[in-house]
Amino acid sequence: MAANLVRRSISKIPSSYPASSVIFSRHHASEAQGAAEPKATQSSNTKTFSIYRWNPDSPSKPELKNYEINLKECGPMVLDALIKIKNEIDPSLTFRRSCREGICGSCAMNIDGCNGLACLTKIPDARAGATTITPLPHMFVIKDLVVDMTNFYNQYKSIEPWLKRKNPPETKGKEIFQSKEDRKKLDGMYECILCACCSTSCPSYWWNPESYLGPAALLHAHRWIADSRDEYTKERLQAINDEYKLYRCHTILNCARACPKGLNPGKQIQSVKHLQLSS
Amino acid sequence: MGAGSAPRLSGMQRQALSLYRGFLRVARSKSPEDRSKIESLVSAEFRKNSKLVDRKNFLYIEYLLRRGKKQLDQLKSPDTVSLSSLNVNTSESEK
Repeated sequence: MAANLVRRSISKIPSSYPASSVIFSRHHASEAQGAAEPKATQSSNTKTFSIYRWNPDSPSKPELKNYEINLKECGPMVLDALIKIKNEIDPSLTFRRSCREGICGSCAMNIDGCNGLACLTKIPDARAGATTITPLPHMFVIKDLVVDMTNFYNQYKSIEPWLKRKNPPETKGKEIFQSKEDRKKLDGMYECILCACCSTSCPSYWWNPESYLGPAALLHAHRWIADSRDEYTKERLQAINDEYKLYRCHTILNCARACPKGLNPGKQIQSVKHLQLSS
Repeated sequence: MGAGSAPRLSGMQRQALSLYRGFLRVARSKSPEDRSKIESLVSAEFRKNSKLVDRKNFLYIEYLLRRGKKQLDQLKSPDTVSLSSLNVNTSESEK
């Protein structure tokens, strides 16, 4: 499909040139058409998407709207389908998206019951029936698939996710040194993109969103506790040593299943709990 | 809004009223001409919504309350000087 587009655009450009290249360009166009026709006669692969729609300005209740997409003319990921629906069928469909490569975390939503990034989730087979796309569960909806993330961000801010030191660094003017082994301890935590897939998949977070910090914030809390350069480890551990902030976690481990980057917040929370025992 | 003064107000009605009170309190801390502007805009918005929005449309009322709370938090900060609104339908803007 991309190749056809490229061929057509090349044939358009020389059309303003003298006659000889116009003939050449026509040859290109027919070649492109010739290649396109056998594809068009093949049956189109239609997939139905059931997408949660709610407009706050309209008095109606939220509903699941069905959209049909020809998978032959669409990219492989759910985000490609959403963009195609917005471009061609319904421009009022609202969703967050940015990098389209799974690094920004904007397009987190619930696809067929599982939280994930729309740009990383492949569209399931058309034969498997309609795919349901809903916003992240148990979050206030601002519009369609856009949810209110302020509580999530405030919880992240509350664990103070920056380096805190009591003494100035030993090597003045240079960075604070950290050995490779100490840096390895941060693997599995620094990659978190704050997409909120894990926190919104945790039933414990559903029932106590204001008091329980959630797997994402606790993963970052452990990231700063485990950082060898940080000197406020004891204070950080004490700050979250709360019955609600930390111990609402009952190792349900939905978070590890939902994480689109393959991280395991449940394991990091267990490490924090172990550290609480020893301190 | 609820009838008169005597009948008991529901939780949501109390939330709306306390949000309104919050806005008026913040308006007091701003300069006099900004204060009257904020008060007129806020009271117009609340009165308009009380007439237009169905009392049973809890989803929309909660959405408006959440939005109002965020706007109130922004207004509370001492850096925010005043409030202005844009009327999209008639393309008039008050500054």
